[in-house]
Amino acid sequence: MTATPAAAANGGGPRNTGAPTGLAAMKVSKVGDRVFLGLSSGAAWLIMVVLAGVAIFLVIQAAPAIAANWTQNTALQDRTSGFTLGYDNFWQYVSPLLFGTIWASFLALLLGAPVAVGIALFISHYAPRRVSGVLGYLVDLLAAVPSVVFGLWGIVVIRPFLGPLNEFLNSSFGWIPLFSGDVAKGGSTLLAGAVVLAVMILPIITSISREIFLQTPSLHEEAALALGATRWEMIRLAVFPYARSGIISSILLGLGRALGETMAIAMIVSPKLIISFQVLTNDNPATIASNIANKFGGANQTQADALIATGLLLFVVSFAVNFVARWIVGRTSATPRRRRIPIRKAA
Amino acid sequence: MSTETPANQAPMAQRTLTTGRLPRLIDLWVALGAIAAGALVFAGFGHLDYVAGWLALGAVFYLAAIGILASIVEGRRWATDRFVRSLVIVAFLLAIIPLVSTLWTVVEHGITTLTPQFIFNPEKAQFDRATSQTTLVAGVGPAIVGTLIITGIAAVISIPIGLLAAVWLTEYALPNHPVRRVVTFLVDVMTGIPSIVAGLFAFALFTLLVGPGTFNGLSAAVALCVLMIPTMVRASEEMIKLVPLELREAAYALGVSKWRTIVKVVLRTSVAGLVTGAMLAIARVIGETAPIYIAAGYTRAAFNANPLHGAMSTLAVVSYRNYVDPDPTQPGVTEAEAWGSALLLIIIVVILNLIARLVAAKFAPKARR
Amino acid sequence: MKISRAGSIAAFALIGTLALAGCSATSGTDTPSAAPTSKVGLDAIDASLTGTITAAGSSAQVAAQTGYSAAFASVATGVTLNYNPEGSGGGRKDFIAGSLDFAGSDAPLSADELAQATATFPGGALDIPVYLDGVAIQYNDKDASTLNLSASTLAKIFAGKITDWSDPAIATDNNGKALPAKKITVVTRSDSSGTMQNLTNYLAGEAGSDWPAGPNLGTLPQITGMDLQKGGAAVATEIAAVDGAIGGVDHSALTSGATVASVDGVKLSNDAIGEAMATGFSIKPNTTPGDLSGGFDYAKIKADTKAYPIPLVSYAIIPAQFKDAAKKKLVVAYLEFIASADGQKAGATKANSAELPDAILKQVVATLATVK
Repeated sequence: MTATPAAAANGGGPRNTGAPTGLAAMKVSKVGDRVFLGLSSGAAWLIMVVLAGVAIFLVIQAAPAIAANWTQNTALQDRTSGFTLGYDNFWQYVSPLLFGTIWASFLALLLGAPVAVGIALFISHYAPRRVSGVLGYLVDLLAAVPSVVFGLWGIVVIRPFLGPLNEFLNSSFGWIPLFSGDVAKGGSTLLAGAVVLAVMILPIITSISREIFLQTPSLHEEAALALGATRWEMIRLAVFPYARSGIISSILLGLGRALGETMAIAMIVSPKLIISFQVLTNDNPATIASNIANKFGGANQTQADALIATGLLLFVVSFAVNFVARWIVGRTSATPRRRRIPIRKAA
Repeated sequence: MSTETPANQAPMAQRTLTTGRLPRLIDLWVALGAIAAGALVFAGFGHLDYVAGWLALGAVFYLAAIGILASIVEGRRWATDRFVRSLVIVAFLLAIIPLVSTLWTVVEHGITTLTPQFIFNPEKAQFDRATSQTTLVAGVGPAIVGTLIITGIAAVISIPIGLLAAVWLTEYALPNHPVRRVVTFLVDVMTGIPSIVAGLFAFALFTLLVGPGTFNGLSAAVALCVLMIPTMVRASEEMIKLVPLELREAAYALGVSKWRTIVKVVLRTSVAGLVTGAMLAIARVIGETAPIYIAAGYTRAAFNANPLHGAMSTLAVVSYRNYVDPDPTQPGVTEAEAWGSALLLIIIVVILNLIARLVAAKFAPKARR
Repeated sequence: MKISRAGSIAAFALIGTLALAGCSATSGTDTPSAAPTSKVGLDAIDASLTGTITAAGSSAQVAAQTGYSAAFASVATGVTLNYNPEGSGGGRKDFIAGSLDFAGSDAPLSADELAQATATFPGGALDIPVYLDGVAIQYNDKDASTLNLSASTLAKIFAGKITDWSDPAIATDNNGKALPAKKITVVTRSDSSGTMQNLTNYLAGEAGSDWPAGPNLGTLPQITGMDLQKGGAAVATEIAAVDGAIGGVDHSALTSGATVASVDGVKLSNDAIGEAMATGFSIKPNTTPGDLSGGFDYAKIKADTKAYPIPLVSYAIIPAQFKDAAKKKLVVAYLEFIASADGQKAGATKANSAELPDAILKQVVATLATVK
């Protein structure tokens, strides 16, 4: 499950590259070989086609709405965000949504990522062996819990749970803009949404980082311990440098999920088309995905096209985030790679 | 800062392995003390009922206390070690609470609804002519069928494609092959595609190909494929990479052709991991709501097992719809469907996982212990 | 679509005759059932009908459609209704695309949409009222066991001009009895809905100057502090949970124990909603002959002291000319049943809603007879 594009890109020494270098050069001769090669390279090409297809079809569907004259189009003016506000163009409409998407995901990462890496570390290096297998399984299972369930859980459990905390933060730390404003009495705050999002991305970050922690060569770990390192020093010296790029990419996968999360946010947070940093009020910026979920059913053709256009933008954003992230990972993991030694089996 | 500690200054004669270390159960005692202190603080403010609050405060106290204690008794290095360990454990406990709470909430609300009628039948509406009353009986049978069909189609399409692409990436393409680099990168990017975008893609695709207003299971399956393929490629790629090179070399040395080597040796050796990967890929998409609702629509009562025609329900969509539109006169029925289908979804995932483990155990090479 | 003036007049005349014919037919035979006179309602259903009706749209209608279809299928056991409550706009969109047998919609087709629908269905499309309910103004203030609000006060509350329960305007609406100070939290739906369209229609009609946002809005314009929830049921629960909250909720989505305000001095009840429909609904047909789309004349409703001022009427939208005769037979039979007293009662009992008045139902039957 680890995402290590750099391993491929770096090439590196002969030990590292393993199968492909030596064997791809072998002449493919038999019919079976040719068919199999055709099938597998076809599959690889197909992936590119699919991705291009996603972009193309979204563009075709979205173009009319982006190009439309928003001031003249009654269907697009219908989505008034206030009494005086209308939208002059698509970008004016989508910018608060874009802000909300990024802001909510950022908060979720802030809350969730450190904890997720902590759990991964606990399962891989602190928990007793027997327990860790069960825990690993449990976390994988949670990755499959549908987002509707998290939405229901957020409403039934998290909203009331955060109530007193909201009041406390607002009254004691209200001077920080983040916690200012009128506390939402019903609890439909961005904080509640971010907490649920954080819980939702925990399993995905944890299961990938755990996998990577487990792949640290035992020899490195044992060497560190043998030199008298404490367990933490061993983790810092042997595990983290080895796993850094993997941790980053697991966090990015979490970010990807947070960016696109729809139902839970739509169900928990009270969304508006505004740009606001406050996290304890009813006035929270809507996210692109939750806005689509809220408006798609009631939309006529033009409005649906506009929503697809916002979805296209979400696609572009997640593409860009991943692009940048891969680039960072590629740069930071320029350290020599190891050959994988499957000594410890995951879970 | 001096690293000299009381332990280091102790006379040699008195040093044993446990000198200069905190007693074994110290963590427990400090933790209990810290939680009690947290409770006291909250009691002082008159909010003893906010259990989570004083547990959280207790955790902070505990971390502080154990850090200070350890740095006095054990020295800086071991104190850091102990502190980090405590931190990791606290983080774990902190996170396990919401995760367990989620599962528990679903089980608590859903378990009573699981009757044979609920699982195997569609929702029934019985009309009583005398009173004009329509009585609903909860049932999510069609949604289970829909979930299995849609996810099944997605899996049948995605798993071979993902697996073959992974084989190409690991076994055929040279590491610096430009297409390989592009595909690897795109697969990584594709893992981050928001699910709703996948749904919109399928919607747009079928709007253009078949005509607007098309709802069918196939369309939803296409959306899920977009989400599943990258997960599958990634998982299989990693698993295939774990197969020792020596195995391949041995096969080639015996004159086995390349594709047979891949099928009989490489894939066979990594079958356990591949099955797990496939299960994770399925688990990732089986609970998707928004893309399926956009692409496949929703049908309340009718059984539809034809993925090519007509709206199709899945458990996640049923759960969502029934939460959003509860029945005015029988809210209990829709609530049962909302929670019951959520629980069923989790149960299906567990069953799939168990099957995967059995399959993996059966097909994995016997030599492994 | 092109239709001559003479042709449309002729068509209207035809509807009139048919309506009369329908009336005379209903006064003949007698049956032992609940239906008062002839073979109408449940007894009129052809038990040999089979097939699936595919429909989608308004979520306000969904419970009523469950009632209608259960009752219909109790006689014609081979018929299934497949109703997807995706939302009114989505229903109209899919209907225009030709993928539905009928759309459920809280608003009739707009002129634009009718033109698009005519491209799919050459005969045009008909808006047929099938469901009646009201928009309740639910509130949560323990200091006010009863509450009355005028249109202009409501508009000011929803526009954020009145932010406290102690506001003099609220006192004026309640015989000068002022409420203790408490912040007002407006709760509304985050998804677009016909409920809000009807509410904003009312506000624009009755409180024009205090409601600058205009009619027919799927969501209320957002104001600071407004609490948005997904779905009508969530709004109702939220109002019940938040002290000082107020919001518009589908009458049928109200939970037991909800406190509901009177509007313009009229308490919400099924009778009051029916009265509003009978006095205030005026048919403003589109260009398809026989169309029954219309709007509420809020001034007329206000003049009637027994009429609840915020009714909500929801339509079934069907083609005037079906492409498939069997489908036509099925859909028309189903809608004819909905337009009967039995049908209305079945829907209203299931949805906790009001029933359409007889006068409208007669027009519906007449229009259905013209469907080809």
